[in-house]
Amino acid sequence: MQDAVFNDLADLALQGSGQSISKSRAYLIEARLASIARREGFGSMDDLVHCLKSRANPVFKTECASALVSKDTWFHREREVLQCVIAEILPERLKAGNTGRLKIWVAGGSTGQEAYSLAMMLEDECPPVMRGAKIDILSTDLCLTSTERARAGVFGHYEAQRGLSIHRLMKHFVRNQAGQWEISDELRRRVSFRAHNLLQSAAGLGKFDVILCRNVMNGMARSARGRVLEVLADQMNPGAVVLTGERETVIGLTNRMEPMSELPGMYVAAGTANAAASAA
Amino acid sequence: MKTCLIVDDSRVVRKVAARVIRDMKFEIKEAGDGSEALKICRDAMPDAILLDWNMPVMNGLDFLRALRREDGGKAPLVVFCSIENDSEHINEAIRSGADEFIMKPFDADILESKFAEVGLV
Repeated sequence: MQDAVFNDLADLALQGSGQSISKSRAYLIEARLASIARREGFGSMDDLVHCLKSRANPVFKTECASALVSKDTWFHREREVLQCVIAEILPERLKAGNTGRLKIWVAGGSTGQEAYSLAMMLEDECPPVMRGAKIDILSTDLCLTSTERARAGVFGHYEAQRGLSIHRLMKHFVRNQAGQWEISDELRRRVSFRAHNLLQSAAGLGKFDVILCRNVMNGMARSARGRVLEVLADQMNPGAVVLTGERETVIGLTNRMEPMSELPGMYVAAGTANAAASAA
Repeated sequence: MKTCLIVDDSRVVRKVAARVIRDMKFEIKEAGDGSEALKICRDAMPDAILLDWNMPVMNGLDFLRALRREDGGKAPLVVFCSIENDSEHINEAIRSGADEFIMKPFDADILESKFAEVGLV
C-alpha cells in the first residue's frame, strides 16, 4: 500500500473511530476494508480512497471507519468481571438508588455478546436482592452492521459456543432452520441496541448506573481515549461505576474518574472512591 | 498430571486435539472407537474425555452410557464433540451424561473454553 493511501486511511480511522493504526499494521487496513472494496467494485485501496475523497457520503465514510475497528468479542468475556457486576455492583447500586431501577450501558458492544451475557447472568445468577428490579441494558456500537446483528441476536455455531456453556446455549437459544442459534425472545427483550460513536456526545442515551466499555479503547490514540472517557463521564449517574478492560486505564487521561478499588478496570467519579468503598 | 482420553475415529482429529489438550498440561490417551475407549477406562479412568459421536464398533453415545454405568465411570468429565449439532442430539448427549458439548468444526479457543467451562483448566 502506498504511503499516501495508508495515511488517508489511517486518518479516516483516527477521525472516525479514534483508532491509531501504525504503518506496520497496514495489513489490518487492507484486511478489514477488503469486503467493502469488493462489494463496491474497487480494484484497489487507491480507488476506495479516491471514492471517499470525491463522494461526500457520510454513511459510507462511517461504514469504512467502523470496518477498521476490531469486532472481536465473545460471550462471558472476562467472566469474573461480569460476575462482579451482577453479584456486587448492581446490588449495591440498587440499594443506593432506592428506585428499583438500574441502567447499564455496554459501550462499544459490537455484536451484542457482552450485553446478552449480562442478560443471561441476570436471569441465571440473579442475587435475591435484585429480584423484581428493573434492569435496562443498552448496547451501542459505532458499526451499524454490528448493531443490526446484535439486535437480531442470531449467532453462528462458532460464536454461539465461544464462551457459552452448552447448558446456557440450550437454555437461552433456539437453533433455527439455517443451523444458527437465535437468542430467546425473553433475553432479547431485556437488551436494546443503538448505533453510537463514542467520540461523540452520548447525551441522547441518558444517564447510567453501570457503564462497561471493555477492550474498546485498546487500539485508540491517546487523545481519543481521553475523549471517550469524557463522553462516558458525562453519562454517569451519581455513584455510577465504569468498567474498562483490565489492561485499559483512565489514569492520566481524565480527572473525572478514579479507581474504585484495587481491582483493575473499575472506576467511579473522582472524589467518590472512599464513599463507594464504605458503602460496599 | 491430569489425563485426557481422546476418542475419535479420525486420526487427524485426534492429532489436532491432542496438540491443543497437551498444551493445557494433560497427558493424552487415544482411542479410535467407543469399545477401545471403554477398555482404556476400565484400566484407568481418565480425568477428561473428548468424545466423538459417530464411530465404528461402538459410537460415542453408547460408550458414554456404558461408561457412566462402570465403577468410577461417573468421575471423568466428558466433552462431547460432534458434527451432530441439532438440539435433539445435544439434549440426548446431556441426558446420557455429557458435561459439555462442542459442535464441529472447532478450534483451539473453543476447546480451551469448553474445558474451562467444566473446570478442567
